[in-house]
Amino acid sequence: MNRRVFDAGPFDQYERHGFDEMFAEDGQPRPHYAALYNRLATLSAEDMESRHHMADLVMRRQGITFTVYGRGEGLEQIIPFDPIPRLISSEEWETIERGLEQRVRALNAFVHDVYHDRLILKDRVVPAELVVGASGYQRECVGLRVPRDIYIHISGIDLIRDEHGRFLVLEDNARTPSGVSYVLNNRHVMKQVFPFLFQQYNVRPIDDYPANLLATLRAIDPSGRDDPTVAVMTPGVYNSAYFEHSFLARQMGVELVEGRDLFFDGGYVYMRTTRGPRRVDVLYRRVDDRSLDPLAFDRTSVLGVPGLYGALRAGNLGLANALGTGVCDDKAIYPFVPEFVRYYLREEPILANVETFRLTEPSHRQHVLSNLEKLVVKAVDGSGGYGMLIGPASTKAQREEFARKIEADPRRFIAQPTISLSQHPTFVDGRLAGRHIDLRPFVLFGDQVRVLPGGLTRVALPKGSLVVNSSQGGGTKDTWVLRGDPPEKIEGPGELQGD
Amino acid sequence: MLSRVAENLYWISRYLERVESVARLLDDSFQLELDAAGLHAAASGERPVESVLSILGCKEAFHKAHPNGGRSEVLKFLTFERDHADSMLSMIGRARENARGTQETLSAEVWGQINRLYLYLCGRQARRRYRTSPSRFFEGIKRSCILYTGLVESTLPRSEVYHFLQFGRYLERVMQLSRILGVKVQALRQVEPLAAGSLRVVYSTSLLQSCSAYDAYIRQAHEQIDPLGAVGYLMLDPDFPRSMRFGVDRACVALRAISGGDEHGFATEAERLLGRLGSDLRFLDLDEVIHRGLEQFLTEVLSTCHRVAHEVHQTYFLA
Repeated sequence: MNRRVFDAGPFDQYERHGFDEMFAEDGQPRPHYAALYNRLATLSAEDMESRHHMADLVMRRQGITFTVYGRGEGLEQIIPFDPIPRLISSEEWETIERGLEQRVRALNAFVHDVYHDRLILKDRVVPAELVVGASGYQRECVGLRVPRDIYIHISGIDLIRDEHGRFLVLEDNARTPSGVSYVLNNRHVMKQVFPFLFQQYNVRPIDDYPANLLATLRAIDPSGRDDPTVAVMTPGVYNSAYFEHSFLARQMGVELVEGRDLFFDGGYVYMRTTRGPRRVDVLYRRVDDRSLDPLAFDRTSVLGVPGLYGALRAGNLGLANALGTGVCDDKAIYPFVPEFVRYYLREEPILANVETFRLTEPSHRQHVLSNLEKLVVKAVDGSGGYGMLIGPASTKAQREEFARKIEADPRRFIAQPTISLSQHPTFVDGRLAGRHIDLRPFVLFGDQVRVLPGGLTRVALPKGSLVVNSSQGGGTKDTWVLRGDPPEKIEGPGELQGD
Repeated sequence: MLSRVAENLYWISRYLERVESVARLLDDSFQLELDAAGLHAAASGERPVESVLSILGCKEAFHKAHPNGGRSEVLKFLTFERDHADSMLSMIGRARENARGTQETLSAEVWGQINRLYLYLCGRQARRRYRTSPSRFFEGIKRSCILYTGLVESTLPRSEVYHFLQFGRYLERVMQLSRILGVKVQALRQVEPLAAGSLRVVYSTSLLQSCSAYDAYIRQAHEQIDPLGAVGYLMLDPDFPRSMRFGVDRACVALRAISGGDEHGFATEAERLLGRLGSDLRFLDLDEVIHRGLEQFLTEVLSTCHRVAHEVHQTYFLA
């Protein structure tokens, strides 16, 4: 472990562990971070504190919150925002972007195949029982045609950086990935908190995401009308991502609907308006598959629309993401994604996976069970940091409990080596300290594939923690994808007091 | 527009209009109690602050919750009490919850303002200010509500969203005014035997002030304040934005904009009811109203408003 102590301003007491985004092995700032480093080094603790506070205030006033479950009706909180931006050079981004596009195309081909010809299963590239046993696999989708054969219109692919600085895919979120509203709002807040710094860094803009999202949604309109009716479908105000649903509807200028606003009639879905029923052509749903239609799926769900599945069968409704995409979110499928790239696209994967042990394989299982204290075990259908065992941080009792669970049902788990996520300078208690981060870029797939430059950088705020989820106390920071070369030095605002 | 959203919008406006009215009533009655007039009133009947409970129809609820409550309990009951559905905090909370569920249809400014007002009222700053000076606190709430109204006026296109907000606000305003007049006129009647001219003036002034109508009335009446003149002004003036006639007309305009009707007819039962009330207010004079019985008239106005609300509910919210 290399370790170095810095002495410049807020970097006083900064410790470097593993791969640091800002500092190279020799302790010098990486070239694209140099100007940012020099600027931050001159800031006082009070100055930093006031910018941090400003960011919180902006978010609270605009109601940029998420809801935490398990305490009464749900408690609204803001996600802690870290005002130190994360920088990605244009070359680094170019690779990520190509890698993401490739991966999403392969995943899409896989979903289509699984519900139609099943060639990949017949060719035994992936075990059939793993696919049909996946929690996100929907029998009802077999043979169901979707517009343009696209399933995964919006995805969030989680990336991490290992100790060598390599970007690796940690997981695929092809069902209803959230967080893009924080990406857009973090940018908005950053422009208020560090306007001059931002301006001089020549950052790739992200404001066109809502327009691109709308274009993606319109691309799957089955009606052929000139002006299809698009709506965002939410489970309601108590959903943890409600802010995001409403934000996206507002940004696209479309209605935000709940199940109770919709009804099915004669093959079509309509919404109840003050001027009577209005036909809906495309739904960007943020409701889980099984809750979408109580007649076809979960009878007890009150979030969906009885008959909605009928509209899909009749080909009268574009649904984003399509039904059944959750099969890719199953972590037991994840180890095979590089194979999908080779099988469907006949290309070599640009982005690698994290090494993963499949517990259904006896040799893997044996290895995992005897090395639990070194590994991370994840439930295949878990998310939000739930259902995980982090070996090095676990107790003997926890390991024994997981060993029992694995032996009882190996299909439910995967294991990965503990990867020390890269760290990034983060504002903690008046100074800067290294904290682990990941990255969730967002990919749209409709008339074309579009990758939002950057994505959501999540930060594990407790020292040493590897869990970046907001439901586990993680924060976020703005992600700047640079266009061209970084500035040599940041000019101040001149006469005015500013950054 | 979605029916659910339309209903939410209508309630947002009604709640905020009611909050503004409660702030104004509490401010005014608190001031009145600080004057000697408060003592007289206490001797002759209901104290000014208690009369606010009557106006809002929650006297029983208050006495049940605070059997021996005095002035400061009343003020707190109507301001910060979460358990009481008609306290300002509860109403702003509901307005905010409705706004949160429809924020994509509002402008960011309007939603932000409602959210800020709610956060303020939940926070420590509000309580601190309230303890130091209730009047300054109420003043702040009134300003926040008016800022909300101003943001609605200046950031929303004149679409259905705007018209439902307008309709809710003016309907609530007319209902509030009917209740205020009902209670205040009764109070005026009770102090009349005391016959002190100055007390009549104090009460009429308070009536006008609780509707922010004092300056406007004086400029128009050019004379010493007379109770009947004040009542007539608040009910029948065509140009004053808080008069009953003005409110009924605006609510009617909003409904016509929603239905797409014109001013010569009516497209819905709600428009017919409001239109008829509007023409009453246009063509009646105060003597006739008094002759028919003021209390009776005010009760009729309220019942018309309830029927209008019901009709709008049937026509637009249950689609």
